[in-house]
Amino acid sequence: MDVIEMQDVIRFYQIGEIETYALRGVDLTIEDGEFTAIVGPSGSGKTTMLQLMGCLDRPSGGTVRFMEQDVSKLNGSKRADLRKGMIGFVFQFFALIPGLTAYENVELPLLLTGAKKAKRQERVNELLDTVGLSARARHRPDQMSGGEQQRVAIARALATQPALVLADEPTANLDTENGRQVMEIMQRLNADTGTTFVFATHDPRVMPYARRIVELRDGRVTENSRHA
Amino acid sequence: MFRLWKLAIRDLGRNKRRSGLTLVAVALGLGLLVLISGLMEGSVWGTIENNIRVQSGHVQVREESYDEDKVSLKWEDLLDDPQGLVAQAQDLPEVRAATPVLWASGILATGDESVGVRVFGINPLAEMSAPFREGLVAGAFLAPDDRSGVLIGRRLAESLGVSAGDHIKLLVNTSDEQPDEAIFTIRGLYDTGTPAYDEITLFMPLSKAQTFTRAGERASAIVILLNQKDDADVVALALRASGLNVLTWYDLNQMILQAVEMSMGIMNLMYLVVLAVVAVVIANTLLMSVFERTREMGILAALGMKGRQVLTMFVLEAGTLAMIGVVLGLLLGSLGVYYLATEGWHLGEMASVATAEMAYGETIYGRFAPAEMVQLSLASLIITLLASLYPAWFAARMEPIDALRAL
Repeated sequence: MDVIEMQDVIRFYQIGEIETYALRGVDLTIEDGEFTAIVGPSGSGKTTMLQLMGCLDRPSGGTVRFMEQDVSKLNGSKRADLRKGMIGFVFQFFALIPGLTAYENVELPLLLTGAKKAKRQERVNELLDTVGLSARARHRPDQMSGGEQQRVAIARALATQPALVLADEPTANLDTENGRQVMEIMQRLNADTGTTFVFATHDPRVMPYARRIVELRDGRVTENSRHA
Repeated sequence: MFRLWKLAIRDLGRNKRRSGLTLVAVALGLGLLVLISGLMEGSVWGTIENNIRVQSGHVQVREESYDEDKVSLKWEDLLDDPQGLVAQAQDLPEVRAATPVLWASGILATGDESVGVRVFGINPLAEMSAPFREGLVAGAFLAPDDRSGVLIGRRLAESLGVSAGDHIKLLVNTSDEQPDEAIFTIRGLYDTGTPAYDEITLFMPLSKAQTFTRAGERASAIVILLNQKDDADVVALALRASGLNVLTWYDLNQMILQAVEMSMGIMNLMYLVVLAVVAVVIANTLLMSVFERTREMGILAALGMKGRQVLTMFVLEAGTLAMIGVVLGLLLGSLGVYYLATEGWHLGEMASVATAEMAYGETIYGRFAPAEMVQLSLASLIITLLASLYPAWFAARMEPIDALRAL
């Protein structure tokens, strides 16, 4: 099954009189269970593409389908509902809620979906264990390193067992060792759970992990290749 | 709802100093209003009760034609059978005491000074005389059969340079509208704690006042004190008869009550201004908080939180602040009112600027005004919640991608 299907997707931003194009007609399909890197220089449209896939944004033209549902015209509330249970995000900055502990940050999506306490506890502990941070459960973001925070963010992205996890430059603010750890965790989760991962990066160290690389340049797909 | 609340409370705890300062603003605002309302309540009721005690009583019975402003002593304006009315009043269970009084206007003269006074003729043994008996500061109190003694206020004595034992000349207009004068001895000086009253009132036994003014057995009014001031209407109804004018403390203190009513507008305006300041502080705090947490809003949106949930979260934050602030404000204000209720606010000489009709005591005591406290607390809560709507709406309508871009 296709998780994402983009057809002739255009996205421009109106800034004053000027229309700035981020995507200029993209066709792309992401299948279930893929581990795909979207690469390209800054301003090539990677982030815009992830935001469209993640139902954070709507295209200016063309169609985006998520799990075979056309999400191009959905209003904010309906898109929020989709994101809540189906899509996980990992951002370049370690996007944790500052006042909450690691445990509570991972619990947040489960709270939003209304999961029962016992279920939440089980799931959060399992995920913190998976990313190797059980011991840090009660720590707040400012008490953790960047690498640890990003691993918590990955755990949070997976909390609701989403169909798709989108990671925007997940290693950009990490050193080599932490970057490697983060990529290995994502790779392992992809292999173990079959969750589809799409990550945007321009970090050459990250690309070898990808089984498929989609290259964007000036808002167009310039290369689309699969590795073994 | 619960989980949003949890988030809201966490957010408040995160910036403790800011939350604390906002709390202080709400608490100080409400505390100030509670204090002022307590002071108002105390000064109004204190003045009314003081007035009831020293001059008006709870209920008065007068002849229908009696004109208070003229202090008329014409026979047709006076009560013919005061003792009968007193007996009738005393039969009522609500009545604590009833006594006839005679008022006359006079001129008091010493060696070279003269001053207008109100002559207050009353049986020195009557309960209505208690404030004078208890307020005696020099000399002796009057006996009912004293034919040549009077009491005057300490302040009046000081301004005339006389003291107990001195002689004064008193001139009155009698019932047949002829002036008459006599020499009296100042038996003693009193201080009721109500300067505006003490400065003009001369106290003499009723029987002497009746003879002096040639009123016979007549009286200007029957002054009645009740066990409960709320019974005034019942008692007034029972005593109503043709040719009589029965007034309650409410009628007799119209001037104070009207003044209170007039000042309510200004008070409400002041309440509004204070609450508006609190509202601005709250709105500002929350708006700052929204700006600071733009990125967080983006993350929460990415996790699937909707605009109206974001709105609810901010309103909950404001609501939590408001509730704690209201509790603190009530506490603070109550402490202030309690202090004013026990220690009082001593006005001293300032009290003498009041008129005899609106006699402030020298000390104003605060009094709890529960209804106003509830109203003010609710108003603080509602205004705080309203003030939070704009920042909350601002946060709620942020597009997730814009919020995430603010990184």
